[in-house]
Parts: sequence; structure tokens; C-alpha cells
Amino acid sequence: MGYHSRINVLIVSNKLSSSVPTDREVVLGILNNSEDALNRLYTGHFPMVLQFILNNNGDEDDAKDVYQETIIILYNKIKSGDFELTSKLKTYIYSVSRRIWLKKLSQQNKKTTNNLSEFEDVIAVEVDVEQHEEKDLQFEKMKTAMLSLGEPCKTIIQDFYMHNLSMQDISEKFGYTNTDNAKTQKYKCLQRLKKLFFQN
Amino acid sequence: MVMRNDIELENLIEDYLNGKLTAAEAQAFEQLRANDQYIDHRVVAHKVFLESITAYAEQTALQEQLDHIHDAIDVDTLSRKLGPHPSYIVNLWKQNKSALAIAASFILLTCVSIYSIQHNTRQIGSYEMLSRKLGKIENKQDSQNKLIRNIVSNSQSGKAALNPAKYGGTGFALTTNGYLVTNNHVIDKADSIYVQDSKGASYKVKVVAQFPERDLAILKITDDSFSKLSSLPYKLKRNSAGMGEHVYTLGYPKDDAVLGEGYLSSKTGYGGDTLAYQVDIRVNPGNSGGPLLDNQGNVIGVISARENEMDGATYAIKSRYIMDALGTIAQDSLGKMVKTKKKNVLQGLTRTRQIEKIQDYVFMIKVYN
Repeated sequence: MGYHSRINVLIVSNKLSSSVPTDREVVLGILNNSEDALNRLYTGHFPMVLQFILNNNGDEDDAKDVYQETIIILYNKIKSGDFELTSKLKTYIYSVSRRIWLKKLSQQNKKTTNNLSEFEDVIAVEVDVEQHEEKDLQFEKMKTAMLSLGEPCKTIIQDFYMHNLSMQDISEKFGYTNTDNAKTQKYKCLQRLKKLFFQN
Repeated sequence: MVMRNDIELENLIEDYLNGKLTAAEAQAFEQLRANDQYIDHRVVAHKVFLESITAYAEQTALQEQLDHIHDAIDVDTLSRKLGPHPSYIVNLWKQNKSALAIAASFILLTCVSIYSIQHNTRQIGSYEMLSRKLGKIENKQDSQNKLIRNIVSNSQSGKAALNPAKYGGTGFALTTNGYLVTNNHVIDKADSIYVQDSKGASYKVKVVAQFPERDLAILKITDDSFSKLSSLPYKLKRNSAGMGEHVYTLGYPKDDAVLGEGYLSSKTGYGGDTLAYQVDIRVNPGNSGGPLLDNQGNVIGVISARENEMDGATYAIKSRYIMDALGTIAQDSLGKMVKTKKKNVLQGLTRTRQIEKIQDYVFMIKVYN
């Protein structure tokens, strides 16, 4: 109880003083699914990454892509519970964005490494970035499978597995005469999606 | 009936994996699974699948949330502040702080020349938009006659533009059914607008959308006499073009199309504007709204303005903002659109052949007000 109220005070006072939340606030906020914490984390550190990308052969779109990937890595790391605040979040974010951007640049065969404009300290984050890349591979596989699935299968599958609609709801939404027909349809869709997903 | 059993088995597996079975049911199922390799395999596969789709759902939701947050950020203003222009000087200062301290006396001696360099980097020259005043167009009988013919044919439908065109610019096709893009400053406050193709035929157009902050406007040819274009030869480049790339433009600074050639001299426009490129290309009033193409025939920008004090410094709005502008228009009305990814037919052709192919898609814009 006492612990909680102390954090509340901290959040209130921080809101008054600056828009960049403290690292502790962000970690607790994300663990508690706070939209506000995510919002302020994102808004607070974006300029740093934008500056880095713009000054190293990138544009705003590159900055957006790289930064969002970074935030997803940080978010998942916090959610998985194995995130320890050994360095400042700012340093972590900068290091991850930098790593991702350097990789992208080398893939595009643009050379920059010899005179990189740096704005912050850097820590080692290779492992985190590589782990994310593996996960992202799965994500892309599912995305591709989903895209090639076609309608109405895509919506049925998304409604059931992603938006947690019941078979009853789906049956009504798609105008099936009874839930059994909807179930048969969903089953067929699921088989197709699995085939697409596992084949790749 | 086999199907029915399969559906039930799948549901059972899913309930089992989601922990929805009672203890007794779960035990029975585990027994079944232990005895049947086929079922065991399906359980494992479904588990992997469920985990993947859950992760996919979570990441998609997070991505949407991040996009939403991102949209609220004024990226343009930030970029102007943080982009290469100002920070170049900051970096120079950071990297050479100590050296500069020691060499302070030299700086004193050379301050006059440093001042003049900074003077240049700030681009003090003024910015001139390139729409063309068409005071003398009356002399150009050929195009004028055609225009008048067109006006006459339109006059029965009400308002007719009787005065000669006052302003002109260039525009180019984005779709085969007559959507064009040009600069907003070319058509702003116009009473009526006509376009003329490379063969001299004029068509009436209407303004579909205006984007003053990006200086872009989307027009649509409404004339009945307009027949669909064949498929567009160029494609829009979504990524940034690189510095030093050879580029060209086709425009109407006079009554016939004129080619301008040069190279991309900066990835930012006037005063570090990240919406635009700076290109070293000689243009004249009337070039405004023309396509800027690279060697492969990709449209990388829209010519918009030039610097008065620096010969050859021209600005072009980056092509991806055209896509953004098009995105605001109902997609089904656009018909066959300019592609952003497809391999384009101009690739590998000589410049002359490229121009032959694109000139039918570049129009002179005539504005009456």
C-alpha cells in the first residue's frame, strides 16, 4: 500500500517537472499496461533517435522504423521480466537503435561506419537485437501467412484468435445459420492458415 | 464425417492447450496423446501455432499503439531542428572544442572568413516559386487556338474562361484515368484550370485536393474528350534518393516541353527543409510541378522552387509525399495508379527513349483567374 502511494506521488511530481518519464516509472508503467507511460517513453526519447538517424544517412521514415523496432524490443524485454536497469533507459534505447541502423546501412551497402555522428554513450546490445530478429522472423511468417489467407478467413481467424470473439459472435457477424457452420468454416480457415504458416 | 471428428479433435487440442479441460478430461486426453503419435504431433504443432498467433496479435496491437503515438509527434519541426544542418556546426564544435580553445587567437584572425562561410550555409538567397506568368501567350497562336476551341466547346455548360491564361506550370499523371499532381502554388486561387498535353490538346481539370503545407495539389481531368492514358511508364520512388544522383526534369517553361538535367545536390531543401531535395538543375518559371526523375526513370520528386541567389539551386518535393497525398483520396476512384514497387519500363533505356515515353504523361498547366 505504502509502496504504491509513493509511486503515485513520484508520477505526479514528474509530470509537473518534465515530459520524459523516469526510467523506473517507464518500467513500472509498462508492466502495468499503462498507455500513458508508453506514450511518454516514446515521445520522450524519439528526438534523440531522429537526430542520430538524420545525421547518419537516414530520413524520418527510417527513424520511425528503427525507433519503433527499438521500443518493441525494450517493451518485450520489460514484459518478459528479464529487464534490469543496469544502465539508463536512454543509453539502452540509443544503443539498440544505433545497432539496428548500422545493420540496415550495411545491408543497403551505404558506408558510414568510418565517420558516424554520435550523440550518446553506447552499451552492448547485440544479443537483444539478435533475439528480436529471430522473433521478428516468426512475426513476418505469420504476417505473410495471414496476408495470403484471403477473406473471409482472415477476418474470422483474427476475430477468434486476436480479438477474442466467441464462435457465437462470429456466427452472427458473418450471418451463418448456426454456430456449427461457423465452426466448420473456422476449422477450414485454420487448416489453411496453418498450412501457409508451417510451409514457409 | 471424418471432418466432423477432425473439428472436434482440434477443439479438444485447443481447449487442452488453453487449460479449459477439467482435470479428468485432461488426464484422459494426455493418455490418448501418449498412445497416439499423430495426435501428439498435432498438439505440438498447434501449440507452436497458438504461441505464434498470440505473439503476432500482441505485436500488431503494440505496433498500432506506437503508430498512434507517433502520429501525434510533429516530426517535421523536430527534423528541422535536429537534422544535419544545425548539428553539423554543433558537431564541429563538439569535436574540436579543445583545439578551438588553443587556437582562439587564430579564430580571431580568421573570424571574417568564417563569418562569410556561415553566411553562405544559411542560404540567405530568397526562394522563388516557379509558376509562370503567361502575359505573352496570345502570340502563340497554335496552342491558343486549341485552347479557345476547347473553351468554346465548354462554354455551353456555363462559365467560360475568356481571358488568356495568366499563370502556368507543369503537372504529370499519377493514374491512367486522369489524376495529375502539380504544385499547389501553381493552381492556388484559380478560377479555372486547363492542361495541355505534348500534342497540344487541352483539357479542363478540377482540383481534387490541395496540400498547401507540402505545396502539392492533385488535379483530375474532367473533360469528355480525354481518353485514358496507356499504363504509366515511370514509378514513384518511395525511398530517399542519394546525393550526387543524376536527375532530370521535363517541364513547360515555354510552350514546348523543355528538358532540364542536373544532379541531386542535397537531401534537404531550402533552409534544411526535409520535405524537399535540393537539385542542381537549371529551371525557369513554368517548371513548377514537373516530375524530377532519376537515371532509371523513377519519379523522385516534384520541382517546386529555386533559389534566387544561387545559380542552379532548385528544390523538389520528395516523391513519397505524393503517395501520402494520393492516400487521402478515395482509392476506388483512382483506377490504375502509378506503382511504387513494380519494376519500371524506363529502366535501362537511354535518356532520349525515356523522354519519348514520358512526354505524353507530362502536361502544361494553364491557370485562369
